[in-house]
Amino acid sequence: MTNIKMKQIRLLVLGVLALVASLVLVACGGGGGLEGSDNSNVTVAEGGDPTGSLNISNWPLYIDGKTISNFQNETGIKTTYTEDVNDNNEFFGKVQPLLSQGDSGGRSIIVVTDWMAKKMYDLGYIQKIDHDKLPTVFNHLIPSLQHPSFDPDREFSVPWQSGMTGLVVRKDLAPDVKSINDLFDPKYKGKVTMLTEMRDTVPLVMAADGIDPVDASTQDWLDAIDKIKKASDSGQIRRFTGNDYVQDMAKGDVVAAIGWSGDAVQAQADNKNIQYVQPEQGCSIWSDNMLIPVGAPNPAAAYKFMNYVYQPEVQANITQYVNYVSPVEGVKPILEKRDPAIANNELIFPSEEFVKNCFNQVSPPGDEEQQREVEQAFQDVVTG
Amino acid sequence: MRAWRWLRENAVMIVGILALLYMLTPIFIIAIFSFNDPTGRYNFEWVGFTTQYWQHPFEITELTSALEVSIRLAFFTAIGATILGTLIAIALVRYQFFGRRAANLLIVIPMATPEVVIGASLLSFFLTLNIFELGFQTLLIAHIMFSVSFVVIVVRSRLIGFDRRLEEAAQDLGANAFTTFRKVTLPLIAPGVVSAALLSFALSIDDFVISNFNSGAEVTFPLYIFGANQRGIPVQVNVIATMLFALTVIAMLFVIIQQRRAEKAGEIRPEEETHEATVPITV
Amino acid sequence: MTSVRQRLVPYWLLAPGLIWLIVFFVIPMYYMGELSLKTGSIDTGYQLTWAFSNYTDAISQYSTQFFRAFYYAGVATLLCLLIGYPLAYAIAFKAGRWKNLMLFAVVAPFFTTYLIRTIAWKTILDDSSPVVSFLKTIHLVPQDGRVLATSAAVIAGLTYNFLPFMVLPLFAALERVDIRLLEAGKDLYASATQTFLRITLPITMPGIVAGVLLTFIPASGDYVNATFLGGTNQAMIGNVIQSKYLVVRDYSEAAALSFTLMAIILVALIVYIKFAGTEALMGDEEEAE
Repeated sequence: MTNIKMKQIRLLVLGVLALVASLVLVACGGGGGLEGSDNSNVTVAEGGDPTGSLNISNWPLYIDGKTISNFQNETGIKTTYTEDVNDNNEFFGKVQPLLSQGDSGGRSIIVVTDWMAKKMYDLGYIQKIDHDKLPTVFNHLIPSLQHPSFDPDREFSVPWQSGMTGLVVRKDLAPDVKSINDLFDPKYKGKVTMLTEMRDTVPLVMAADGIDPVDASTQDWLDAIDKIKKASDSGQIRRFTGNDYVQDMAKGDVVAAIGWSGDAVQAQADNKNIQYVQPEQGCSIWSDNMLIPVGAPNPAAAYKFMNYVYQPEVQANITQYVNYVSPVEGVKPILEKRDPAIANNELIFPSEEFVKNCFNQVSPPGDEEQQREVEQAFQDVVTG
Repeated sequence: MRAWRWLRENAVMIVGILALLYMLTPIFIIAIFSFNDPTGRYNFEWVGFTTQYWQHPFEITELTSALEVSIRLAFFTAIGATILGTLIAIALVRYQFFGRRAANLLIVIPMATPEVVIGASLLSFFLTLNIFELGFQTLLIAHIMFSVSFVVIVVRSRLIGFDRRLEEAAQDLGANAFTTFRKVTLPLIAPGVVSAALLSFALSIDDFVISNFNSGAEVTFPLYIFGANQRGIPVQVNVIATMLFALTVIAMLFVIIQQRRAEKAGEIRPEEETHEATVPITV
Repeated sequence: MTSVRQRLVPYWLLAPGLIWLIVFFVIPMYYMGELSLKTGSIDTGYQLTWAFSNYTDAISQYSTQFFRAFYYAGVATLLCLLIGYPLAYAIAFKAGRWKNLMLFAVVAPFFTTYLIRTIAWKTILDDSSPVVSFLKTIHLVPQDGRVLATSAAVIAGLTYNFLPFMVLPLFAALERVDIRLLEAGKDLYASATQTFLRITLPITMPGIVAGVLLTFIPASGDYVNATFLGGTNQAMIGNVIQSKYLVVRDYSEAAALSFTLMAIILVALIVYIKFAGTEALMGDEEEAE
């Protein structure tokens, strides 16, 4: 082998290394959304002329088949409706790096649950909304949702749909389950599940022990988590689940669970024995909210869409399909004519009596660090 | 006694068929439930027989477009990963060179990395680099990335078993490197290349975790199903999964029939018989 | 006498693929490695503090899940080998004209997406299913027992999901076995067992090694099976990493855990390769020669 050959090879290797090195430098230059952020410079989404296009990210099967095309036909706004929110945490993991750079990925509306909305807002990822541009929304928003604790004046969030977290039981197999504490009854050992979402599970367990979740201390949260941990270690709790508890329940593998009202409504169509039971000590009420993220193109179209879906006639179509609690006033009378079964369902149009003990979904108290400690403790139980 | 002998002679085949049944059981269940007629939105329990969902398999537009995205993605992934991986495999098997071990290591490590880590790290990378728009492009990049290693392994095992003298003979007969590759090497390793392509297609169409991070607003078939699972998976998902399966079975049968014909033709003109039947999914 | 151009050929062949891997795998990983030594949070930002404690914390706090992951993956790999070898053997030597169809059947499950497959398994194995009653009748499962939400279900899920990764390399290795060698064995009056142990098994060793790695490595990082088929206290390390990334959002700790997992796997890999005596995963012939 001659020197020339070796030189050429070395040159090639060096070339590749140089390329790699330069890319490493590029990679290290930015932070990929890890520089930290706050909401000190939140802006209000501009109005303006609502033409052009609109991108919406929502949860799957959370709208009926006609609303989007009707909206397009009536307003001429080309709407791309994407069902890419599967889970608050996963969605956050996916969009956080973008949002931290002031980019919404082309989305003008995203839909997430209360606590996540608050978290995003605190990080400065969400724009404020202008109430003057949302007349239909604020004329029809039901009173119970006008002043939630996470956004008392609805400065940045507009509810999409609401629901309750409580007990879902097999009436035939566990007829006497009335309270969250019944889930800890040895009679149902290995036939009970709880949700992996801490904010759904832990407050209900606290409430069952007589602690008001709304002003519970960090220690109260940790105590409740400890109680759950004991039940988990002893085999009392079968699994921690997402929505998949419905399948376990349809089979009878699980007879009682902490679950969502909307699931129960839909599962009933398949199996009459699957029922939602309002826990004696109350339920947790939550909403998924429409938000306008930072860098959202065409916020005017976003306003237009929010107003559009708050028309009772339009909302009735959505409620009829989705079967969750509608945040819009005036839907019930429409559905009474069209579909009385839905209009008279307490899980879709809950009476005041039905939800008298319920509270709005809460997060652990304290700053980010304390919240994370609680979240970690709960996750250590779930992934124990 | 005869039964016992038969059993002993065919024991391997029996175990093999049992193993295959095990692998296909869930697919049978999926197919059966594609004919279910659930009263509500959950398709978990058998209610009654209907072909209604087979008559309108593409009724749900989000599902259909997700499927379309997935197929397009898997197709381009298969092409990209197969080209890159085959080239690497050839280099690794055929040549001794400086850095060979390092190259080997680089191919193994991605397979030893948890999917969550690949997904999350790629996402941060894309966002920092800020050249690619999150969506189809980034999905394609990621899918090619995790498929390449598998292609290398598959093609490589095929290359090792092959007689280099065939290539040398071609070169002795005056063929240049490219012609040799096209006329001799490629046909010989073709079964390996085809199975590598098929495997990367399969890996791509089945991926959820990495896609979830890098999809932007694009929704693939697994992403759609994962989301739909929150509210009850529509029966059409079973229909489409069954269809995908059935289509590939039909394609396979077609290939087999073609092969038989070729074999028959080979019997008539023995001089054209290939040394080995073309095996489309040989690893 | 080789020319310069010819010596460069392997590099040209490698370049596109390896650059792809370097840019889209190594660099992002490097970035993750750096993150694993940082401290901070999304709100305050991350600073590089060379926090090696992220690693010691990760190992001391989650040793159970690490251990469990390797235990589940190990058992699943063994089962895959026991099921996969006869299957690959049958395809390679006994299937005849059905060879292609059988091979296809091995890859086919991929086309239906793991989530629907897992849901299907839940249907097959639910507490009152015929399969479970049968297992109870033959006392494989206790009378008051269950299959779903147990370690057995997680292992069964892993076995099912990674079986193709075992069968494909085994098949590749078996197909290269020269049938004449086996016949020669028979002619020399070796029993079927002897032929297998003395000829087939040694020749297919690289395939076994490759199959074991391809099954064990992804299985030990998996979290899907434990999520859907497991119960409480059956989480694997993959579940912990997943929850650190997406739920708790402790990115540094998540990165440290991932790197620890990768390091353990790599060390095991190197030991295993030394032990197996070849560049195992690649079935490299030069090394064996």
